[in-house]
Amino acid sequence: MIKFHPNKKMLTAFSAGELPLSLSIAVSAHIELCEECAQQAQQVEESLSHDTWHDESLENADFGDMLQSIMTTSFEPLETVVRAPHARVHIAGRDYQLPTAFRQYQDLKWSGFGAISRARIVNDEKNVRASLLHIGEGGRIPEHKHKGYELTLLLDGSFTDESGTYEKGDFILLDGDKSHSPYTEKGCLCYAVQDAPLHFMSGVSKVLNPLGNLIY
Amino acid sequence: MIELIANSTDNILNNHTIKLLDEEQQQINDWLDLVAKQQDKRAFSQLFTFFAPRIRSHGLKKFRQEAQAMELVQETMMLVWRKACQFNADKGKASTWIYTIMRNYSFDMLRKVQSNKEDLISEDLWPMLDVEEDTDEQDHLQSRHLLSYINTLPTLQKQVVEGIYIEDKTQQELADELSVPVGTIKSRLRLAMIKLRDMMEDKS
Ligand SMILES: [Zn+2]
Repeated sequence: MIKFHPNKKMLTAFSAGELPLSLSIAVSAHIELCEECAQQAQQVEESLSHDTWHDESLENADFGDMLQSIMTTSFEPLETVVRAPHARVHIAGRDYQLPTAFRQYQDLKWSGFGAISRARIVNDEKNVRASLLHIGEGGRIPEHKHKGYELTLLLDGSFTDESGTYEKGDFILLDGDKSHSPYTEKGCLCYAVQDAPLHFMSGVSKVLNPLGNLIY
Repeated sequence: MIELIANSTDNILNNHTIKLLDEEQQQINDWLDLVAKQQDKRAFSQLFTFFAPRIRSHGLKKFRQEAQAMELVQETMMLVWRKACQFNADKGKASTWIYTIMRNYSFDMLRKVQSNKEDLISEDLWPMLDVEEDTDEQDHLQSRHLLSYINTLPTLQKQVVEGIYIEDKTQQELADELSVPVGTIKSRLRLAMIKLRDMMEDKS
């Protein structure tokens, strides 16, 4: 049972196409796993559509021969929509099937540190880093907080932190003030988006630096 | 976090009480239907007259440039023309369908402008998980497994799949029967289809 969902504001920004790619992937993937949010997103789309088409500030414009030229293009036959292959990843000896939003990310390069493996997904948005994170059995990320936000979408398995236990599909958004140390008993696969490096709370942060760099 | 989200979407959720197809919506549905069935140029011209200025105005807000706003009009309307027959009135309003086409195209366009990426990722972010009637032989082979898979679905999803594929009901009929919105039927069906698809793929 999914307990954590994107809020309505985020769902709306997603449906309007206004979220950056890193977060759009997270919301899209969550929607594919969550009936409740899929339904809400559909309603949001309808109301966005309604508002867009009923914007009163319309000007006249000259579209030239655009209409005519469009109508000379050929019609797409009603073929069965070819479904592209599923997104799959293979990590730590297991195959995972991922939501459609990950379909383009097939040839991932994984790097590892202890029980943790990471593959970069989005890398072109200023400070934002988005990655798949695999944490093996009994793995823990030491207590840390973030200057910015940290979004975790749990794609498989489960993990626990100070605030509770999360399951597949949970969409967990933490902002800068909270620190946590996620732990997974049986291993898990997450999609994580951060906009600042992790800040480890313990005195041995130097030792943990490589880990911080890996995760961010 | 907040600054990632444009202010323009703040008020949208307060006024979404439009459910029935009013005259205008019905008209748009009918036009699109004519385009889909007969490639009707007059109907398409009507759609163009309605949507082109609105798409342009939306594009100007988004891109702040005439050329890009015009590109958005051109490409959105082109897709509407070419893909008209993929529109399915059971699945919602034509105007919402056109909105999603525009939204997807402008997402990809913005990505091209900002990151120089042409990955056309909008199709993956907003996938059409439609159920297609396949005539594939392999599907035929698999179909005998299907009944047993359907039985493993959660009750609510199973009800919808059986209603539509075995009892041949429409989504609307099912919605009425179960006293839930059509949207609920759709998303249950969608989730059920994802599950079934996964089960079939695991077997094959
Ligand atoms: Zn949800």
